[in-house]
Amino acid sequence: MSRTEFTQVGKVARELEQCMKCGFCAYVCPVYQEEKTEASLARGKNELVKLLVSGELEINRELADRLYKCTGCMTCTANCPARAEIPRIVVAARADLAGEMGMRFPYGLIYRQVLAKRGVMGLALAAASRLQGVLMPRTSGTLRHMPDFLSAFGKGRRIPSVARKFLRRQLPEVTAAAGRRTLRVGYFSGCMNEFVSPEVGRRTVELLARRGVEVVFPRVQGCCGAAVFLGAGDFETARKMADRNAAAFEGLDYVVTDCATCACALTEYAHFLADTPEREEAYARFSGKVRHVASFLVDVLEAADFRAPALFDGKKVTWHDPCHLNRHLGVREQPRRILESLGGVRYVEMPEADRCCGMGGQFNLLHYELSMKIAKRKSENIEAADADVVVTACPGCQLQLADSASRLEKPQRVVSLMDVIE
Amino acid sequence: MLKPEIIHRLQEIVGKDDVLSAREDLATYSYDGTTNWTGTPEVVVLPRTTGQISEIMKLASRHRIAVTPRGAGTNISGGSVPTRGGIVLCTVKMNRVLDINKTNLTAVVEPGVVLQDFNNMLAKENLFYPPDPQSFLGCTMGGTIAENSGGPLCVKYGVTKHYVLGLEVVLPSGYVMKVGGSTVKNRTGYDLVPLFTGSEGTLGVITGITLRLIPRPAARRTLMAIFDDMTLAGAVVSSILGAGIVPAKIEFVDNFVIRRIEEKMKIGLPVDAKTMLLIDVDGSEAAVESEADRILELLKEGGARIARRAKDEAEAALYWKARSAGFAAIYSAARTVIAEDVTVPRDRLSEYIQRLDEISRKSGFPIVLIGHAGDGNIHPSVSTDSTDKEDLERLEDTLTAIFEMALELGGTLSGEHGIGLEKKRLLSRALDPMAIDAMRKIKTIFDPDNIMNPDKIWENA
Repeated sequence: MSRTEFTQVGKVARELEQCMKCGFCAYVCPVYQEEKTEASLARGKNELVKLLVSGELEINRELADRLYKCTGCMTCTANCPARAEIPRIVVAARADLAGEMGMRFPYGLIYRQVLAKRGVMGLALAAASRLQGVLMPRTSGTLRHMPDFLSAFGKGRRIPSVARKFLRRQLPEVTAAAGRRTLRVGYFSGCMNEFVSPEVGRRTVELLARRGVEVVFPRVQGCCGAAVFLGAGDFETARKMADRNAAAFEGLDYVVTDCATCACALTEYAHFLADTPEREEAYARFSGKVRHVASFLVDVLEAADFRAPALFDGKKVTWHDPCHLNRHLGVREQPRRILESLGGVRYVEMPEADRCCGMGGQFNLLHYELSMKIAKRKSENIEAADADVVVTACPGCQLQLADSASRLEKPQRVVSLMDVIE
Repeated sequence: MLKPEIIHRLQEIVGKDDVLSAREDLATYSYDGTTNWTGTPEVVVLPRTTGQISEIMKLASRHRIAVTPRGAGTNISGGSVPTRGGIVLCTVKMNRVLDINKTNLTAVVEPGVVLQDFNNMLAKENLFYPPDPQSFLGCTMGGTIAENSGGPLCVKYGVTKHYVLGLEVVLPSGYVMKVGGSTVKNRTGYDLVPLFTGSEGTLGVITGITLRLIPRPAARRTLMAIFDDMTLAGAVVSSILGAGIVPAKIEFVDNFVIRRIEEKMKIGLPVDAKTMLLIDVDGSEAAVESEADRILELLKEGGARIARRAKDEAEAALYWKARSAGFAAIYSAARTVIAEDVTVPRDRLSEYIQRLDEISRKSGFPIVLIGHAGDGNIHPSVSTDSTDKEDLERLEDTLTAIFEMALELGGTLSGEHGIGLEKKRLLSRALDPMAIDAMRKIKTIFDPDNIMNPDKIWENA
């Protein structure tokens, strides 16, 4: 008895047969490396989804717990002889789970299980709701999921200071190109740059403008939806976000973002969220224009000359590959080329630079201790590189690396790629 | 169903976190690397010490509960699939390398150590453990001992049993028995080490392993040859070995695999080629140079269209990656794929290849060839997209024809995968009846109640 009501998993049913159960994913899966149980492994998750589809397992909390124990890093796929995309199957399954179990899971779970544990979470939520209160009228219905982001700072973490002045109050709607205009692009800020680190967003826009690009910063853009559809499987909500974002960037040459997770989520709209031919077409057209800034600078502008701000003079920097940038989007060499070209700064490659840091968005909220164990190996690799500064291009990774550095009392500074180039 | 007090006792032995009994966990211990064999356990335990395993076995003995030992479950014989519910005893959390001794050239490891992790540690010490089952990224040392695993390097270096010096084994009664030792020479009574090596978990749980190591060879060369005729390629393998050269690896892939590799990797192989041979030679710098030269001569004399050295390490690595992806290419090409493991004497290779071709033509099922030509272990993979019962029965008959042909050529049923569930129906045809009787008696000595990986190797046990 096949369960046809699983619309999302139904779409990937063929993919389920791709896994040949060789078990090679055991060697690379960061979650399995810590847990050592078959259900934590890609092969095991594939089997669970198969049994869900065949009706031998039903949707319940036990199943959901196991399907949420995946950072989505795609290391299994990258090393899979059959290229089985099990993390994407897991996302599809989460959508069906969310559909059936309702939004109490996993949001309900986060709030009950995680938030309840630390009083500090209350502060985070209060801050978040205040933010939303302030924003909602201005952006009339823009969907933001700051609670997810901010709740990540609980459990002994510092709450990052929310910016005094959000990015949209610092940047004009259009920033003119310096000199002759070559391209006209849209800038997608992402929630972190919008609310927490607007200076990064400003640096990106100004850098692009200096290189002859006119930058449009559409006010109606919202959250990319990564936490909502890739994390929580709430495709319904995410579709509204995707519609809004796709419409906001019509008519521009490119959509540039400096957040790896946003870049990844924006390019996944068609695959996961398209439920009508119109959406399929609109999402595909939008996704085709999305570039992470590292790829935009190196591949589109063919820029090769970068300088680092004076405060990085003489420093040794290393690069951490965000999974969303490296394995999801295939952007691997570009940031390295940028860092290697910086005068006055020495670039060193850390061991296992592309190993997942353990953040995985919601994964970190649901499985914080496990997430920190994965981060520990990253921290050891950073230490082995003996670098002063760790550079990355994903606010999620940045939070995780900074959190784990402070927990393990490591001296390295963690910064965004946009912090080190001018 | 296991009684709650059994689960409770297991939790007392290993701790709550290391006992899994949720349906959603049990379902993930119901398979191995094969497609055909499944069976769900009633509980999974992940012990961390020999003492815990001894207590688990005592409990299982007292209550006559079937125990299926396993490591990472990468085997391809059905060997780690539970057939009677019971306990799956998974050793992956016992994963310490206890000793690497550079003077004795030995290592002591726990069963859950992953082969690739072990290899990485040895490489740092310039040491070498040759057995190389192609599941090295997942498989555990305990599993490779229980399966007596082999791989491409076995042409020159032999299989797992040639490297096991001593074992610690927990018997079904819970008794912790030591066999062998840590010396290369050891002539003390019957040698029980090779009895447990390859026992497929049917005699006891391997908990401690002492291995012989060798120094890492100083140099290595990879050679590639292309043939327009499969039997010619088979004959060349025989002639290389006949010339007194033992390469480290001689691997064979057929036209189907070459085309699939080119589809996926595009490394410039001629897609009309009938066979590619990949050959590694290793040893001292001078020896590998002269051996490589001589092999290239033999390849050309034997009718190779192309025969050359990989130009550098990177190209060699690319060829070997293509080879290791070969199996995946086959598995992903059809709904049902059965990769067989028959092995024939090396001087019968071209006859073997020819006979497989005849079987394929007669049955109508494509047979794809990939594997270890150097030791006569070229795996024929038979595949079909049909789900029709009659077709699947004919597939079974085709497999039987392959086994019978291999036995006729003086070969064996399984070179390296083991019997498990997959090949037990054919065991009696491959062995002397007296040998079967002796083996059954040995099983009874160690496992009188038949709780240790029951239904494996033996039919109607």
